[in-house]
Amino acid sequence: MNYHILKKEELDGFIIKLAKKMKVCAPVARGHDNFAFEQVTTAGEIALNYIPTILPPKKYFMPPREKMLDFDISGGKPQDTATLEAEELAIFGVHTCDLAGIQCLNMVFSERPRDHNYLRRKEKIFIIGLECNTYCDTHASCALVGNHYPNGGYDLFFTDLGDKFIIHVGTQKGEELAEGMGLAKASHADMAALDKVRDGKKQAFQNEIGVDPKKLPGIFAKGVDSKVWHDLGEKCVSCGNCTNVCPTCYCFDMADTINLDMKTGSRNRTWDSCQFETFAAVAGGENFREERAHRQRHRFYRKFKYPLDKFYRAFCTGCGRCTRTCMAKINLKDTLKALAAESK
Amino acid sequence: MKTENEPVHTAAKPKVAFFDFACCEGCQLQVANIGETLLDVLGAIDVVEFREVMSEKYDKDYDVVIIEGAITDHHAEERIKKIRARSKVLIAYGSCATTGGIPGMKNSFVLDEIRASVYGKDYKLFDSTPTRPIHQVVKVDYYIHGCPIYPPELIEVLKCALRGLPYTVPDNPVCSECKLNENVCMYERGVSCLGPWTKAGCNSWCVNNGNICYGCRGEVKNPAKNAATDLIAKYNLKPELIKNKFDMYNKCKEADTK
Repeated sequence: MNYHILKKEELDGFIIKLAKKMKVCAPVARGHDNFAFEQVTTAGEIALNYIPTILPPKKYFMPPREKMLDFDISGGKPQDTATLEAEELAIFGVHTCDLAGIQCLNMVFSERPRDHNYLRRKEKIFIIGLECNTYCDTHASCALVGNHYPNGGYDLFFTDLGDKFIIHVGTQKGEELAEGMGLAKASHADMAALDKVRDGKKQAFQNEIGVDPKKLPGIFAKGVDSKVWHDLGEKCVSCGNCTNVCPTCYCFDMADTINLDMKTGSRNRTWDSCQFETFAAVAGGENFREERAHRQRHRFYRKFKYPLDKFYRAFCTGCGRCTRTCMAKINLKDTLKALAAESK
Repeated sequence: MKTENEPVHTAAKPKVAFFDFACCEGCQLQVANIGETLLDVLGAIDVVEFREVMSEKYDKDYDVVIIEGAITDHHAEERIKKIRARSKVLIAYGSCATTGGIPGMKNSFVLDEIRASVYGKDYKLFDSTPTRPIHQVVKVDYYIHGCPIYPPELIEVLKCALRGLPYTVPDNPVCSECKLNENVCMYERGVSCLGPWTKAGCNSWCVNNGNICYGCRGEVKNPAKNAATDLIAKYNLKPELIKNKFDMYNKCKEADTK
């Protein structure tokens, strides 16, 4: 048992001290009930009561645009130097859905061949989680996938106990920071209060679609030719919003650009999306997922079927971002319900 | 971006000329305004004609011509054909040149009526044809969309042209870049925006600065028609309003044979 206590009025001091050690990013209000992780230096800037940010914290782990190497083709033999742009960073206020998302990315990028840029950057990021005691909004489906409770993946984890936060220490780095800040140890009363919060959540959070998650792989196995996908295809704009905002979508594209000297240049990777028409187009003009319906189906299978076969874990974190961001109002919960209803 | 350390042999630099047709010349201004990068550009090319910044003319063939503006009368048509005949590579830049842009709005009207409305009863003295983007008149090798052009894209296209590589205009909606910039969606603000149907590549420049997307880069190849109808209904938008917004930059598209 390694729990500390931070009084709410001490949060500002905590953030200021942390910001002196490293860059601190936290959810900040953007208006119209939109939030984004941005650099902060005081607690006042932070939106503690936030619904999932526009982009998940994955933007710090795999930046939307990332330089991989510099090259020089002026000599007889091309030269290249691998690059890594990473900085010491603390992300404060990461909800459990997003912690799960980072865990999924960790699994993907640790597979061989390992993604060294991702793994080395991750080592520089200090993660401070923040528990949701109630639902952010009705689009979330975190209880379905069991992400409404913390399940590791953080250095420190904050739970709101009213006038104070109780902080769970998840790593050695977290312990060092908590000790360094001189945070008080949690008392038995504090632990009882935490238990009460967690008990309350059992009632507050319920399986959002009324379908046993264990049945989902079977439902998806049967649902390949479902009409549900056709319906989604009719609605979809193919803007890629759903994948850009997904905490577990990691597809990227890679391209070389040359500088105006026509000798030096760089190789860069950018986020890609399976929803784009060009995504599965190959030389010769074939496109393996030409239809919007097929692309949407692919997205759902990449959350609820393929990763279960490969990593024994759903790659939907229940954050609800894809539903929130969809202009066409494609709704994850409704899609799952419709698919489940069909397979009965 | 590095500046050239060694002096470049001028003879080796490609001869590049800028020309304008029906437009506001705003894209030329963008080129002249790219700041320090201009020095790198001038290190890589030899500008032989550029009306907005120099008075010299050139009488030989061009390696690259960069064309701004739309073709709106017979004289312009003859002129662009002559320029094309003298150029190895032609780059159309700015919405007027690549999609017909603002001058393309003329095509929403009966030609003689709009001529009379602009020039009065003697309108026949002023030649005018339906507006055409450059590719509807001569072959275009590279496109730099936008009103005005997005300077980083100009540099990318120029580099591709100089190396003889193709440049692929992104065929994803502007949303794909807008989301990465974490803008609050215009639809969530209750404003209709053409981002979902317009080609990306501008890094959602307008929305980053609080404006909507006007569709100046032209429609994506396969715009989501059903979704458009759906969206219009869901957000209580007027279909005519959206269509008018589209026509501001996309009217000439109707003449494109697919």
